[in-house]
Amino acid sequence: MSVSRGSTGAPPVPAGAEPGVIHDIGYRRYTGRRLGRAQIIRALYWHSLRSAYGLGRGAKAKIVPVLAFAIMCLPAIVNAVSMSQGGGRIVDYDTYTNQLRVVVMIIFIAAQAPELVSRDLRSHVLPLYFCRPLRRLDYPVAKLAAFITACLVIIEIPLLLLYLGTVAQVHSGSAVWDQTRALIPGLLVGLMWSVLLAAIGLALASLTGRRAYATGSIAIYFFLTWILAGILIAVTQRNVVRTVNVKPPPGAPLPPGVPAGGTVQAHVVTQVPTTATHLVGLVSPFTTLDGVRQWLGGTSVGPVPGVAGYGALYGAMLLVLLAVSLAGLAARYRKAGSL
Amino acid sequence: MDGAFNRVVASITLRAAFGRKRALLFALPAVILILLTLILKEARPPGAPWPGRVLGDFGFSVVLSLTALIIGTSVLGAEIDEGSIVHLLATPVRRSSVIVTKFVIGAVLTMVFVAVPELIAGLIVSGGVSKLAIGLFVGALAGSVVYNAVFVMLSVLTTRAIAVGLLYVLVWEVVLGNFVGGAKLLSVQQYGLGVANSIAHYSALNAGLGLSTALIMGVIVTVVTLVLATRRLSEFSLKGDAV
Amino acid sequence: MSAIELRGVSRWYGNVVAVNDVTMTIGPGVTGLLGPNGAGKSTVLHLIAGFLAPSRGELTVGGVPSWRNPDIYRTVGLVPERDSVYAFLTGAEFVSTTAKLHRLADPAGATRRAIAIVDMADAQDRRISTYSKGMRQRIKVAAALVHDPQVLLLDEPFNGMDPRQRLHMMDLLTRLGAEGRTILLSSHILEEVEQLADTIQVIVSGRLAASGDFRAIRRLMTSRPHVFLVRSSDDRGLGSALIGRQAVTGVELTGGGLQVRACDFGAFSRELAGLARDKDIRLRELLPEDEDLESVFAYLLES
Repeated sequence: MSVSRGSTGAPPVPAGAEPGVIHDIGYRRYTGRRLGRAQIIRALYWHSLRSAYGLGRGAKAKIVPVLAFAIMCLPAIVNAVSMSQGGGRIVDYDTYTNQLRVVVMIIFIAAQAPELVSRDLRSHVLPLYFCRPLRRLDYPVAKLAAFITACLVIIEIPLLLLYLGTVAQVHSGSAVWDQTRALIPGLLVGLMWSVLLAAIGLALASLTGRRAYATGSIAIYFFLTWILAGILIAVTQRNVVRTVNVKPPPGAPLPPGVPAGGTVQAHVVTQVPTTATHLVGLVSPFTTLDGVRQWLGGTSVGPVPGVAGYGALYGAMLLVLLAVSLAGLAARYRKAGSL
Repeated sequence: MDGAFNRVVASITLRAAFGRKRALLFALPAVILILLTLILKEARPPGAPWPGRVLGDFGFSVVLSLTALIIGTSVLGAEIDEGSIVHLLATPVRRSSVIVTKFVIGAVLTMVFVAVPELIAGLIVSGGVSKLAIGLFVGALAGSVVYNAVFVMLSVLTTRAIAVGLLYVLVWEVVLGNFVGGAKLLSVQQYGLGVANSIAHYSALNAGLGLSTALIMGVIVTVVTLVLATRRLSEFSLKGDAV
Repeated sequence: MSAIELRGVSRWYGNVVAVNDVTMTIGPGVTGLLGPNGAGKSTVLHLIAGFLAPSRGELTVGGVPSWRNPDIYRTVGLVPERDSVYAFLTGAEFVSTTAKLHRLADPAGATRRAIAIVDMADAQDRRISTYSKGMRQRIKVAAALVHDPQVLLLDEPFNGMDPRQRLHMMDLLTRLGAEGRTILLSSHILEEVEQLADTIQVIVSGRLAASGDFRAIRRLMTSRPHVFLVRSSDDRGLGSALIGRQAVTGVELTGGGLQVRACDFGAFSRELAGLARDKDIRLRELLPEDEDLESVFAYLLES
């Protein structure tokens, strides 16, 4: 090997002197202030929130979250248009077109939760995170906070749009106040949705490093249980037949034996929920959320036809789902050294 | 041998499909379907006729579409994602052969995990062989075929095939399919239901398309997507290190 | 007909030009594709392997374009860089699957031979997921060799190999090159390519910076002075004599000897011996300081 030309400035070591000198070629250690654990958590939170919407990645990463957000805003826009044309309001704050919200949230969570946690697992960067002053639980806490925020954005902003669209149409101060009072519970329901769904989504996604499996598992869990709950609610209701006296509309042909202006007996069939109907909502997180909403005083019509006395059960189920998800996340990242 | 089923490719695909825990995901929706059918058959709930809801809504909307999604996107998608597809493509094997083989494997697996359970559920509901059971079985067979063609094509077109497929199933088929009549023409669920209903004549299935429409659209969609998938696979590119 | 020919090949992605108007011919023997990371070596290899389409220009392998032409894989073997093999197969199964996909007449025999060539016979029945990185590289090479290709393309083949495996691979490639096959390997590890390649193609920022024998390339760059280290009985005297010559542009007395910069390599080497004899100075050692590939590389990058 040829003799090295020597580093800048320093002469090569003459033969016979000690071997091995480290030359000063300008390398400096960082001696400034190092930000602590709080800043790391904040940075992790912010970075995760951005990646939940595909910011900081290419255009392809933005398609699904932006599309989901746009679809979620549609009812607010349609409602504003309909009200401006004199029609009544068609979307309320409490449930906000439940079916659409469920579908959009399933897509958003199934597509984006893996972006937050599965990527890090696949590329094995967790040991790098944890050799910084970051405690084991800080990582899932930051990720969860970021994902809850991301879900809040996609749930609450359309509600606010709905509010603004409605408020722009009414003209009296008391009407605005009414709207505001109606909005608040809607926002709180949205908060409940965000916290529970984000926790479940992240917990499921953290089980695997492959984004495709994570998306598949989340989709199966949410979609399957939701349709299942819907079907069970429909089939467990009872048909009740009531006999009522009704006055036939003028001009309609009268059955024999009925004087003009008299009443007719008619059979009315209604669906009445049974005990089973009240309980099957526990199967799906979406109907559980609706059950809790009704238990806490929500009156709008939702997928669950009334909770009767079982409201507390729905509340308990909500807490159980949340607790299991949080415990799962904590357990997953506690042994992060091997991940 | 051009465009034909390739046994070597089939063997790798099958081994990849069952080599991991993901195989459990295939079976889960079907198991739930059968359990649910058994429970409801015993409980005899008073409400809306449940066989239509369970076998039709749940069976086709959830079990068929989700299972086909998982299977269809993984027969080719997993290899593309890992990069091992290069070793397959760096041989003279015909690209059409790769697509057709993986499509067939995916379709057969979906039939096993969806059509057979639907048949079993139908048999349970009717207490024996009936038009309903046969209809559901054949409808699920048709749905499996078309779904896998679509999802295999998605796997070649994008790395987020499962998310896009989910968008298609949830937004296009479930939401739009219920509200916008025209969307049914491009909804694979509806092809399956249409075929099923033509045999079962069961109105609770809520089939929106007639047999001829379902068959024609199903065949068109299958052929178009497989041809597209073959073309894209023959243009499969590896990025260099600079980009 | 040359094995691989590129004529004015360019490849861009939007605004980024990854390969810029490259024209080169690669024939039998071992050719090294050199360049720093991000220079476009992998892009060129993927273009040649038919896994990328040129945005402009013509590229042929054995006279036919490689893009959208799966038949070229009968005579081309590719060892990609990415660590992407079917992890659930055993080594033997992976190679034999490749053999069957090539529709070889005797897949089992070809598999045996290929695995023996890369010396993986004792690990062949273990799953690839249990292999080390170097073992995975070797099994990839076995799969690329199973159909006895005339052209072999290797993308950073020595990644992850320990010195013993590296020597083995270098022997193998030298042998294959001597058999008349066309071997093209890309690398940024200079020492290996130095020992292995008959010709090199240097890619810098997407452009072909130089091709040919690396010593010859070095000599072509006569605008840059060659640097020598001379040890003699009287360095200072020799130095003062040398500085008077046209061929010499600078001398420096260093602790290790006399460092001489010569702008005309030929003239300097002719004149040195005579000069020393005239001044009655005994020459002890004459070393070129920058004939290795690293210096060539560095010069090319600086220019």
